[in-house]
Amino acid sequence: MLLDIHNLVQRFGTTTVLDGLALQTGDVRALVLVGPSGGGKSTLLRILAGLDVPVAGSVAFDGEQLPRDEPALREYRRTVGTVFQAYNLFPHLTALENLLMPLIHVHGLSQSEARARVREPLERFGLADHAHKRPAELSGGQKQRIAILRALVVQPKRLFLDEPTSALDPEMTAEVLEMIGELKELGTQFVLVTHEMGFARRAADEVAFVGDGRVLAHGPPAEIIDRSDVPRVRSFFARILS
Amino acid sequence: MVMRSFVSILCGGLLGCLLFATATTASAAPPLRVGMELSYPPFEMTDPQGRPTGVSVKLAEALGRQLDREVVIENIAFDGLIPALKTGKIDCIISSMTATPERSRSIAFSDPYLKTGLALLVGKESPVKSAADLDAPGRTIAVKKGTTGHQYASTSLKKARLLVLDKESAAVMEVAQGKADAFIYDSLSVYQNQKRHAEATRAVLRPFREETWAVGLRPGDTQLREQINDFLKQFRSEGGFEKLGDEFLPEEKAAFKAQDIPFYF
Amino acid sequence: MPRWLAHTIVVILFAALIALAFSRVDYAWNWAGVWEYRQKFLQGFGVTVALSLASLVASTLIGIVAAVLLGSKNVMLEAVGRVYVELIRGTPLLVQLLLGFYVVASAVGLENRYVVGVLVLALFSGAYMAEIFRGGLAAIPQTQRDSARAIGLTPWQSLRLVILPQAVRLVLPAVAGQFVSLIKDSSLLSVIAVSEFTLAAQEVNSFTYSTLESYLPLAAGYLLLTLPLSALSRLLERRYRYEM
Repeated sequence: MLLDIHNLVQRFGTTTVLDGLALQTGDVRALVLVGPSGGGKSTLLRILAGLDVPVAGSVAFDGEQLPRDEPALREYRRTVGTVFQAYNLFPHLTALENLLMPLIHVHGLSQSEARARVREPLERFGLADHAHKRPAELSGGQKQRIAILRALVVQPKRLFLDEPTSALDPEMTAEVLEMIGELKELGTQFVLVTHEMGFARRAADEVAFVGDGRVLAHGPPAEIIDRSDVPRVRSFFARILS
Repeated sequence: MVMRSFVSILCGGLLGCLLFATATTASAAPPLRVGMELSYPPFEMTDPQGRPTGVSVKLAEALGRQLDREVVIENIAFDGLIPALKTGKIDCIISSMTATPERSRSIAFSDPYLKTGLALLVGKESPVKSAADLDAPGRTIAVKKGTTGHQYASTSLKKARLLVLDKESAAVMEVAQGKADAFIYDSLSVYQNQKRHAEATRAVLRPFREETWAVGLRPGDTQLREQINDFLKQFRSEGGFEKLGDEFLPEEKAAFKAQDIPFYF
Repeated sequence: MPRWLAHTIVVILFAALIALAFSRVDYAWNWAGVWEYRQKFLQGFGVTVALSLASLVASTLIGIVAAVLLGSKNVMLEAVGRVYVELIRGTPLLVQLLLGFYVVASAVGLENRYVVGVLVLALFSGAYMAEIFRGGLAAIPQTQRDSARAIGLTPWQSLRLVILPQAVRLVLPAVAGQFVSLIKDSSLLSVIAVSEFTLAAQEVNSFTYSTLESYLPLAAGYLLLTLPLSALSRLLERRYRYEM
């Protein structure tokens, strides 16, 4: 995907969170956003995912502009998938029902068509045995993986993941990252916000450092994480990777 | 050793004091607990400072003086007076209570001390002129719960719709607002309420049923009954009732005389 | 020990205690007198059931509307909801009934005391329902709404499929409690001479002077209404329980 962002501004009340952010990527499969808390990465991701409308600026994926009115944005959201840090799944439904819901209620599949579609992904990622459980009965890692599957089964153009492993312990974090890695192998495009630098280094095609509401550095992972010449960026990584 | 004897002396002392106290109070007569609902001026009411006053209160105090017992006034809702008497919370009821045959099945009454009757407070717009007019399907009657008006309406005015209210003021409001044709209550209160709501109501004062008030007592309390009857006889002969009438009901006395309606005592 | 057995034992112990208290009181029982008035009791019971049902439905609707107002971003709408809730919750039901019937209803020409009674009761209970619903909605994490939007559900679908199912489960115990309170509060309508169950018992008491024999059936009658409601609520909670 080619991502083209110009002069993106986002405000909440009187606070400006994105301050004329700009970014032009190459044709990447995996874009990873890193940076300090409150720097604007999640805000940016929400705009890219079509959840929020910016105050000003433009976003285009593969040349297609993101709309600004809600009905069109809703249509856009139906073509992509989003996974949040926690509480993705609907707790009153089983894992399977969570997966079926967007297929049946948004994409108009019948019950049997929907069930057929989710069978293979569930088995491939080892979650078939857990499909009849409610989220409360699943581990954190299983919940996030089901959430990713739910985003996937609608056959989206790309996925947006907002710190999907930040609420998990190391073992489950590995579980989820492994799945994301596998998805990349299978050809899925995604924009990922994360603090997992090891994964970013391995899996990202490009990394963008978002701080103070703008992109402070952007390029191949090794260059940004290990060898950035922007002082702010360098000190950030020096601190968290030590 | 010293501690133990100290404790036993202390206990013995306390016990002794208790026995002494009960002995001395047992020798004096217990207070006379009189039950009444203090929302029925000028018979049972409170003065601006909140103390009980009125005809019944003065009567109770005079009774207490005669029996040489302290009088304690217990303010109880009218339809709770008989249960309170029966369960021993009060010793007698002096609350403008009519001695009816139904009530006499439950409690005993002294000799009557006052004659009155049921009258009507009628709404200005209502065509009702007498109690008989009320016994018709389109009529609505307001009564206060537990009173003889309530009893009369539910047994003798069955065709009308009955509104049973908690308080006299609510029943009067129903009539004044035109929600009820008439309020059945004693003639004195009807007179007073009509004066207060002169534009919205009129009064049919002549009693359509006569009643007498008496003091309510427990059936087994024959000694107290005799004492009260003696007191009433004496109080009347001394002109006590006349004085009460002049003190609390001068205007009403005159008004009733003018309309040739028998007054109370 | 199975739960039903423990419950039964406690109830029996409790009844024995009460029986003991009664035997101490020198009370002449008069059940025959009260039995004569069974028709009156039944009629009153029927009126209470009807009033309670009507008020239950009305107060739930009012509560939903008020909850929406309270959560509205429009300042005026939120103010309407907030003033309503605070006024109602801050004044006694008795005062609302008396003012409502003798002042407000008379002013607008609404004469039927049963209708006014149901309205006042519904408005009273509705204010508490509004707070219950609002609390329930607020307890649902924002991510749930985000997830629903992210999937592409319309606002209506999101409400129907995601928010409401969760909110209903969250508020069920409190709502059941409110329903029980409402059934009991309906007894207050007696002050505007609505011939419901409690007034019937009071009237029988004033005719027969048999207080306990009049009021014990009254208590039993209310239990007959409230106990099934509580049991139903607990059943529903157990069936539809999930953890967040």
